[in-house]
Amino acid sequence: MILISDTPFDPGEHLNQFSKANISAGAISSFLGQVRNENGTVKALELQSNKGVTEQGIAQAETQARERFSLIDVLIIHRIGTMEIGEPIVLVLVAAKHRRDAFEVCDFLMDYLKTEAMFWKKQTGKTGSLWIEPRAQDYQDNKRWS
Amino acid sequence: MVKILYFGRLSERVGTQEEHIDLPDNIRTITELKAWLNTYHQLDGILDHDTVKTMIDQSLNHKNSSIIGAVEIGFLPPVGGG
Repeated sequence: MILISDTPFDPGEHLNQFSKANISAGAISSFLGQVRNENGTVKALELQSNKGVTEQGIAQAETQARERFSLIDVLIIHRIGTMEIGEPIVLVLVAAKHRRDAFEVCDFLMDYLKTEAMFWKKQTGKTGSLWIEPRAQDYQDNKRWS
Repeated sequence: MVKILYFGRLSERVGTQEEHIDLPDNIRTITELKAWLNTYHQLDGILDHDTVKTMIDQSLNHKNSSIIGAVEIGFLPPVGGG
């Protein structure tokens, strides 16, 4: 399931529900991305998406993950709108029979989300605003899967 | 009337995320549209950067496609979530 949400979400609640809904899974991996404070220099993060196309792209990445790995279920929640320090930005939950697939699918999906998913991210801090684009390392990480 | 969408830093540069424009009849391709918008909004060629992708009616990867009959055209700078 893919959710693009303009309101805050509770990662713990989703993890509980997801694990209860996937009792055939022996492994559940999770990744939580949150707004970091950068030593007090960042005040907020704002994310834009193009809802239909963004969801479609993430769904394609999930399909690729299902073709490539052995997995049972996936939940991806990604925030848009304005977030404050410490607020969750993204949650990826993966249920698989064994841990290796669960870890790898989480990694695979996060590399997609960091470099290809249609989100635009602006950081606002003490010195103004800055649009954040993927780092060279992010693109390099994503290449591991090609 | 065509809807033009700008994302990320492009929306900030243009001053809006969305606008509806009656384009002149001689604007028929993405390249012509970029040149026209460049003058219209005084964009200093930012739409011409290699990293800016184009979307026509929710479909990506158009280099210099026709925009005849298009309802929505989007300009997308590099993406990145997470």
